[in-house]
Amino acid sequence: MSIIGDVCQELLGMFLADARLTIATLSLVAMVAGLVVAVRDPLLAGGVLLFGCLAIVVEAACREARQRNHP
Amino acid sequence: MGSSAWSVAATAVGSAFLASLVEVVEAFTIVLAVGTLRGWRPAAFGTVGALAVLGGLLVLLGPLLDRVPLHLLQLFIGILLLLFGMGWLRKAILRAAGIIPLHEEDAIFASEAAQLAESADRQRTSLEWIAGLTAFKAVLLEGIEVVFIVIAVGAGRGLLWPAGLGAFAACLVILTIGVAIHRPLARVPENTLKFGVGVMLSAFGVFWTGEGLGIDWPGQDIALLAFAVLFLSVGITTATMLRGSAKEVLQ
Repeated sequence: MSIIGDVCQELLGMFLADARLTIATLSLVAMVAGLVVAVRDPLLAGGVLLFGCLAIVVEAACREARQRNHP
Repeated sequence: MGSSAWSVAATAVGSAFLASLVEVVEAFTIVLAVGTLRGWRPAAFGTVGALAVLGGLLVLLGPLLDRVPLHLLQLFIGILLLLFGMGWLRKAILRAAGIIPLHEEDAIFASEAAQLAESADRQRTSLEWIAGLTAFKAVLLEGIEVVFIVIAVGAGRGLLWPAGLGAFAACLVILTIGVAIHRPLARVPENTLKFGVGVMLSAFGVFWTGEGLGIDWPGQDIALLAFAVLFLSVGITTATMLRGSAKEVLQ
C-alpha cells in the first residue's frame, strides 16, 4: 500500500537522510562506548562524544555545500 | 522539582512545541488546500483519522517504553536523536547559508492544489475519498516526526505527557491562526524554528547517549543547556562561513 510505503520511507528518511552522517555518528558512538570501557574516564569520553558530533555536523554541511557549489 | 530538572522539562516541552509548530504548519498547508478546493468534510475526516492513528501510536508506545531499562532507553533514543537532530541541523545550516532553498508554504499549497485538480479530472467519482486520503497522509507523515520527538525528548525522564502537551499546544496555536487568516502560513520563520529544534534535539541526543553509556555529565541536567549553546554557536558560525563561500562561488 502506498501509505504504508510512504510512512516507511518517511521513517527511514528521518534517520538515514545522509548516509555518511549516519555512519560517522554510529562509529563515533561505538568509539565512545569503547572509551568508556577501556579508559574509564567518563569526562574524556563525554568530550569526544560532544566535539565529535559537532565536527560531524560541520563536515556534513561543508561537504554538501561543496558538492552543490561544484557539482 | 530542582532548577536543573526544570531546565530539562522546559527544554523537552519547548523542543516538542517548536518541532510540532514546524510540522503542523506543513500539514496545515496541505489540509487547507484540500479543504479549500474539495470541501471541509474530507479534510476534517482525513485529519481526524490521522490524529487518531498518531494518538494511538503515542498511547501504545508510551507504556511500552516504561518497561525498557532506563540506560538502554536513553542510549537507543539518544542515538536516534543524534541522527535526526543533526540531520535537521545540517539542513537548517544549508538553508541559512542560502545553499538549499527555503521551504515555501505558498508553493506547496499551489502544487498540492494542482495535484488535487488533476486527480479530480481523472477520477470524478472518488473525489472525496482522494481529498480525505490526501489530508490523512499529510497529517500522518508530518505527525510521525512529532510523535518521535515527543517520545524522544519525553521518555528518558518521564516527561512524555508534558512533551505531548507541548505538541498539542503547537497544534492549537497553528489551528487558531490558520482558522483566523484562512491561507497558508507563509510568514512562519520555518528555518529559524528548524535551526532551533535541530540544536535542541542534537543537544538532547548527546546528553541521552552519554547518560546511556554511563557518562555523568558535569553539572548534571544543566549540561544540556551548555550543549545547546555550543551546537547553536557552531551552527551559526558554519552557516555564516558557508554563506560567504557561496557568494564567492557566485562572483
